[in-house]
Amino acid sequence: MTTGNVVFLVILLLAAAFLAYNAQRLYRYMTVVGKPEHRLDDPARRLWNLLTIGFAQTKILRDPTAGASHAAVFWGFLVVTVGTVEVFVQGVWHGFSYANFLPAPLYALYALSQELFALLILAAVSFLIYRRVVLKPRRLQGDVVHGTEAVMILATIGLLMVTLIVTGAMEAIYEPEAPAGYGRLVGHGLAMGLSGVVSADTARTLRDVSWWTHAVAVLGFINFLPYSKHLHVLVSLPNVYLSNTSGPGTVGAMRYMDLEDESAEQFGASDVEHLSWKSLLDGYACTECGRCTAACPANLTGKLLSPRKIVVNTRQRLMEKAPLVVGDPEEFRRPTLVEGEGADAGSPTVAAALENRLLDNYITEEELWACTSCRACVQECPVSIDQLDIINELRRNLVLMESRFPEELQPAFTSMERNGSPWAFSAAAREEWAEGMDIPTMAEVFERGERPDILFWVGCMGSFDDRAKKITVAFARVLKAAGVNFAILGQEETCNGDPARRMGNEYLYQMLAKGTIETLDRYEVKTVVTFCPHCFHQIGNEFPQLGGDYEVIHHTTYIERLLQDGRVPLDTEEGKALTMVYHDSCYLGRYNEVYDAPRNALRRALPVVNLVEPARTKSRGLCCGAGGGRMWMEETAGKRINVERTEELLATGADAIAVACPFCMTMMTDGITAKGSEVPVLDISEVIASRLAAGTPALAGD
Amino acid sequence: MKIAVCIKRVPVMEVKFAIAKDGASVDETGLKYDVNDFDLWAVEAALQLNEKNAPGEVTVISLGPDAASEQIRKALSMGADKGVLLKADKVPGDAFAVAEALAAELKAGAYDVILFGKKSIDFDNSATGAMVGELLGLPVVTGVSKLEIAGGKGTAHRAVEGGVEVLEFPLPAIVTVDEGLNKERLPSLKGIMAAKKKPLETKPAQLGGAGVTVSKMELPPERAAGRIVGEGAAAVPELVRLLQSEAKVL
Repeated sequence: MTTGNVVFLVILLLAAAFLAYNAQRLYRYMTVVGKPEHRLDDPARRLWNLLTIGFAQTKILRDPTAGASHAAVFWGFLVVTVGTVEVFVQGVWHGFSYANFLPAPLYALYALSQELFALLILAAVSFLIYRRVVLKPRRLQGDVVHGTEAVMILATIGLLMVTLIVTGAMEAIYEPEAPAGYGRLVGHGLAMGLSGVVSADTARTLRDVSWWTHAVAVLGFINFLPYSKHLHVLVSLPNVYLSNTSGPGTVGAMRYMDLEDESAEQFGASDVEHLSWKSLLDGYACTECGRCTAACPANLTGKLLSPRKIVVNTRQRLMEKAPLVVGDPEEFRRPTLVEGEGADAGSPTVAAALENRLLDNYITEEELWACTSCRACVQECPVSIDQLDIINELRRNLVLMESRFPEELQPAFTSMERNGSPWAFSAAAREEWAEGMDIPTMAEVFERGERPDILFWVGCMGSFDDRAKKITVAFARVLKAAGVNFAILGQEETCNGDPARRMGNEYLYQMLAKGTIETLDRYEVKTVVTFCPHCFHQIGNEFPQLGGDYEVIHHTTYIERLLQDGRVPLDTEEGKALTMVYHDSCYLGRYNEVYDAPRNALRRALPVVNLVEPARTKSRGLCCGAGGGRMWMEETAGKRINVERTEELLATGADAIAVACPFCMTMMTDGITAKGSEVPVLDISEVIASRLAAGTPALAGD
Repeated sequence: MKIAVCIKRVPVMEVKFAIAKDGASVDETGLKYDVNDFDLWAVEAALQLNEKNAPGEVTVISLGPDAASEQIRKALSMGADKGVLLKADKVPGDAFAVAEALAAELKAGAYDVILFGKKSIDFDNSATGAMVGELLGLPVVTGVSKLEIAGGKGTAHRAVEGGVEVLEFPLPAIVTVDEGLNKERLPSLKGIMAAKKKPLETKPAQLGGAGVTVSKMELPPERAAGRIVGEGAAAVPELVRLLQSEAKVL
């Protein structure tokens, strides 16, 4: 062993020990403070997520320019890391090389891969620096410290790549016949160019300088990560594996809450210790790329909410509180990972820090109530962070623990409790739309000893809202025309509790949901069809938490199947050649991945339709603004979300707007009115009903 | 400070009411019940007074069937300390009979303030609170839209036609609460859990003799359906004729 070897070994061990210290520190913060939760189920699904979202970078690539650059750096690093291992072993044992046991051609290939990927990374990093310094995309506008740090990180990566290439080039000058030689095209090229200028001795010195710079920079880089948002380099892949946002489990379902537990003292979250450890890991994994916030309808229209801030705040609060919880006073005095939006919320004294909490001190009520639960943030996050989970838990605490919520919600809560509907209508009015249509109720069918094939779940909008009632009638007409054996619950239908749940009122939700499950089970319901995506999601995806298991089909899917089977008697004339634009509902699209059924149904019913897409569509579709209980709240800050969306839909030049959700219907109709436009907004079922063969009026209810 | 609030179990109003077979009462099938709105505001007022004048105790009293304990639990989940159910399977239509039973219970309690809702939204008599005041010989302020209690004295605002009346009264006293005094809080889940463990005493109501009875109930006459006379200027003469001859409004 040379002195160099010994020195390097010491540095390597120190670096490893320091990294291990920080890793266990962060791990302890997360597990001691966070609530336990099992996240190792369904390894096959998790592995698939890791391979696709993690290694194949599928979500990163949703942003084609920055995404491609990131993927280049990421894949490059995977390749180059193999070389870093060789470098480290060489540092300790001079004679080591993969060439010692790899056949020459394979080693040459390896050496070439190192250089090519280093060049690729260098190119990507150069572009990313250019992007940050010159292009300055909106979503990266954070504070100056952060931006500078990001550029430093990128520059360090650049330095690593340059030293990697230079080391090879210098070796090629003084040792042209070395086994690595002929694989290193770039190094050789450089060496040939420089051979007259740089002597073998100088090359040897430069090689050593370059090698040491590279090795020490790698160790420094890794050890800098736990002190910066670039911690994501270490945490992202585990986070993707442990996340549930793309499964396993039911995507988009809110966390189950046990209300029977008499010993429970806390419902929802007001501080980090009420959150799952996974939400805290999300904080570590966030590198503040801002894709979530850039997709957030509330943020886009000037509301206070920023999903990125929610996650960053969670991390900041963890780093403020955890050192006190685990007894780490030194870390409390010099907190790390607390930069970013909301950095000033932390307190310097222990007493004040213990008084602080995530809610109010870091995240305000106003931010939380601005959320439409549209899931765009969750959809966009390249490392599968669940921003919405944190928002929902904080909302639950607000309502269940502190009775704090916008005052407009009180009538909705009261009415759900009293009337079984978020609007104060009598149950007797639930079947008024069906008058004269000869539609049986479950009670009537049951009395005859029969069981219908499907239950048509009308929903509160469909029962009481004048515009939505026309959708109800249209869909019922389609069902009847297709000869479907169906029934409704009539006066026995009540709200299934979804709005209450989204607004944080889990108690009211469970009351209504359990009541609904009782009714459905009493009538031995197996299949439910509904045109409300919120009911669709709730009954299908969240009722199983409370023991209600039914097959739930959205009416767009059901209609598409009926059309496919030729069961709907359609007008044989082609009709007018319409240009239509379809607006995706969040609870249908992002929550349940139903994107094609509504579009296919339109195409089947209107053979000459010209279906156009708005700028933001399908999984990137912009919310109408009514989700997450926003339907019942005033929208005073910033621009109205529905107007933003309507403008986008109108910009397509479509003759009509198609929707598949009664909430979207209200929001888009209001948007059209606000814009002074006359473009009709139609539900998919209304379009189909208008195409029913012979003797049927143009549009139901019109 | 000891505060009592008297609350009533009333049907939720967003239904189509039917008259029972006896022709003099409401058909109760399918009805849902809740705390009378005015009484919810009275409970809220009691809780706010109690928070300002701690230490103290808020007792909720309701006269009604066993099921009225649900309404008492709701008040307890909002934050009241204990409940008393004066059990009566049928609540008499005569407010005086009810007032006598309540007065008998309240007399023993030595309350500083006794709160009522201004009226119940089912019988709409606006009588019980004032009658109890008479029976107990206490000052009564009705229909209060602002209330302050301090130093053994109360100040209350009442909305009167075109203005506000400010009243002062000594304690103990009876106050009935109008809309606008406050907005009732939504019980937190913590409150709901805690309410299950709070004391709720049931005793038979000592109803007074009813001087007044409901002899008959009628539904309002069915409204005739609207009619579309025609469209545009051509329809005006016919419309005017109908407004004159049929509706008799012109």
